[in-house]
Amino acid sequence: MKKYILYTLSVVVIFAQQVFASGGDQCFTCHDGLGDKESSGYKHDIHFIKGISCAGCHGGNSNSEDMEKAMDKNGGYNGVPKGDDISKTCAGCHADSARMKSFGSSLPTNQWEMLQTSVHARLSTNGQEHIVQCITCHGVHGIVSVKDPASPVYPLNIVKTCTKCHSDAAFMRNYNPSLPVDQEAKYRTSVHGQLNAKGDPKPAACASCHGSHDIRSAKDAKSRIYPVNLPSTCSNCHSNAAYMKAYNIPTDQYAKFSRSVHGIDLLEKHDASAPACNSCHGNHGAAPPGVESVSKVCGTCHALNADLFSGSPHKKAFDDKKLPECETCHGNHEIAAATKALLGTSKDAVCSRCHDQQTNPKGYEVAGVMRALTDSLESQEDLATVLLGKAEQKGMEVSESRFKLRDVHQARLQSRTMVHAFDEAKFREVVDKGLKTSAGVVEEGQHAINEYYFRRWGLGISTIIITMVAVALYFTIKGIERKQRNALKSNIIKK
Amino acid sequence: MNERVELDDLVDFMGKKYVPQHSHSVWYYFGGVSLFLFIIQVVTGILLLLYYKSGEDLSFESIQFIMSKVQFGWLIRSIHSWTANLFILSAMVHMFSVYFGKAYRKPREVTWLTGMLMFFLALAFGFSGYLLPWNELAFFATKVGTDIAGVVPFIGKPIMQLLRSGEDVTGATLSRFFGFHVAVFPGIFTVLLGIHLLLVQRQGMSEPLGAGDDVKSDQKRMPFFPNFMLRDLLLWLIVLNLIAILAVFFPWELGKKADAFAPAPAGIKPEWYFLFMFQTLKYIPGKLWIFDGEVFGIMLFGLAGLLWMLIPFWDRKSSRGEQTRFINYIGLFVIMYIMIFTIIGWLA
Repeated sequence: MKKYILYTLSVVVIFAQQVFASGGDQCFTCHDGLGDKESSGYKHDIHFIKGISCAGCHGGNSNSEDMEKAMDKNGGYNGVPKGDDISKTCAGCHADSARMKSFGSSLPTNQWEMLQTSVHARLSTNGQEHIVQCITCHGVHGIVSVKDPASPVYPLNIVKTCTKCHSDAAFMRNYNPSLPVDQEAKYRTSVHGQLNAKGDPKPAACASCHGSHDIRSAKDAKSRIYPVNLPSTCSNCHSNAAYMKAYNIPTDQYAKFSRSVHGIDLLEKHDASAPACNSCHGNHGAAPPGVESVSKVCGTCHALNADLFSGSPHKKAFDDKKLPECETCHGNHEIAAATKALLGTSKDAVCSRCHDQQTNPKGYEVAGVMRALTDSLESQEDLATVLLGKAEQKGMEVSESRFKLRDVHQARLQSRTMVHAFDEAKFREVVDKGLKTSAGVVEEGQHAINEYYFRRWGLGISTIIITMVAVALYFTIKGIERKQRNALKSNIIKK
Repeated sequence: MNERVELDDLVDFMGKKYVPQHSHSVWYYFGGVSLFLFIIQVVTGILLLLYYKSGEDLSFESIQFIMSKVQFGWLIRSIHSWTANLFILSAMVHMFSVYFGKAYRKPREVTWLTGMLMFFLALAFGFSGYLLPWNELAFFATKVGTDIAGVVPFIGKPIMQLLRSGEDVTGATLSRFFGFHVAVFPGIFTVLLGIHLLLVQRQGMSEPLGAGDDVKSDQKRMPFFPNFMLRDLLLWLIVLNLIAILAVFFPWELGKKADAFAPAPAGIKPEWYFLFMFQTLKYIPGKLWIFDGEVFGIMLFGLAGLLWMLIPFWDRKSSRGEQTRFINYIGLFVIMYIMIFTIIGWLA
């Protein structure tokens, strides 16, 4: 008996749903009957599934069978929203958390607010509305969840959605003529793009790096892709071991980069000119630099070092052994500040990894000589700095010597660069120039200190002489005055 | 020697000149000290002129050269700078001693006037000389100083343009200040000094009010030569020693080269002798009734300076030989005001 009652109740519920679906939204019933594109698309729309009628966006009375009543402007019918009214209509529910909860949605409700901060919120060429409305990306009458593979903003579709505008040179010229329009082409060459094309939704697509509603210009310090913020953006995926597991690549790049000389400049000192991930890997065409190209990548900034290396005997040796040029000595993500410790024949020096006294005595010897020259120049510079500091502390004018000291420092920097030629004669030439200048500065610093003591002695002697003259003068005056007093007394006595 | 130039006559003439001796006689020496410091200024100034080059690209470098390469150049420049400040200090002490002794009274009105004009010229010497090294502090202090001159109604703007040789402080201002400092001011100063010294010689030292015939007795006066002159010389030697110590232990710094495009360094201040006026202008509100605060302050200082200079003509009591405490109170107020505001300005 129970079974029959349950069965009957189920039939009643299904029938009632059918009645509500067809009779509850008269707009949809009529338009569906007409077989128009909008209503056929809306059948699959998430909003339709959630029970939102056409009137939810277009207004009017969706319960009325009378078309005039249903589409009466006095009854709230607003037709097809235009311009910013479109997004405002969406925001009517999507910015209202209580309303969203009533539909059982857990979506955030700040999309409209975030869109206002976006580069897309600028006015369009007609000056009446924002460049982008919600429907520009999400579509209309067939809107599905972003997690649905049919959504235009699903990772596998978003590239096409964004490039509808961003690959259209004529369209982009209206808003940002300097922005390239080849992002998609480049993206397709990248590791991310290739995996995306193979149907893997996990690799980065446009929104992964640029964000979705709050997309900002790359020059905006708040942008996810602003140099200072970029490593953190990349690390969202690349430092997530679970997320990256399938790709079998390390996930410690961010941690290493943070400790590197580049990372410290970028992340701690906030120097936006320091290299970020994209400086070496590219951005839309992101790929790790290969063994052949690594020196070219580093050479975009360290041009002189790359040139010197290309002309050095190491070039062929590295090529033969298929060693990545810069990376072999300096590493990649965790590039430490290049100190003189890298040079020489000690255990920590990178030269000694290949050159040892037995198998490669010539290279070993040159590395030792270069290190000795570097040490010598450094100690001379230190000595000159100390002497000038002492002279300045004593109030001596040594600004010209201080200026020359810059040449010594410059020679040191040049010698650091010249290391990459791996040519003892060229290296010695630069260091000798620095040593000669520093010898001059040391002499001037010492002279200034000697001059200080000479002044003190000079002052002491002249003060003694002047004081002696003053004392002599004092006694002379006293003598004269005594004589005058005596003369005056004798005059008085005579009188 | 005596046979040729008849020195005896001169010694005899000087021996008949007397300097009054009383409890305030010590102040007489400050005139001589000021003269000594001025002579040092002239001598060291001429020596600096042998190496100094005026110009936006030359001034700073030439002073740098003088201080680091020229034999004893550092000493000459330091002495010149220190003496300039001590000269103004000594002239100030001399001026106040004359003021409180009412030595400006008849018949010494012109002596006072020439002295006051020389004092103003000394300030102008200081202001113009301060810019010559073309360093950062001097550049901005000159900018501020000439700006202040520019706010005087009617004549301010033309004066500012005349001083700057244009709208802004530039290399042209430097050349102009150099010309003022080494040619115009010394020329005028020499004439005034000549008149001042001639009058002092003709009229003798002023005696304090109410001294009467007492100071005419031999016990209460001292022959100018050799007594006073040798005492003067003794003090000059002591001052010379002091200058040498200051120059060696506190060499005058050169600072950073002026850069018209650089922001003004924080806490920019004028030289100490302008500090009390600068500090006062800071305290005056922007608007005082219908007057602009700054203009009001400048006009007030101008008026006060004028009244101070013309005191022999309005202090009739002193001229009649009567004691007047009012003048003393004004003098004390001025000294206290200058000291307090200079200290506040220095500490600010």
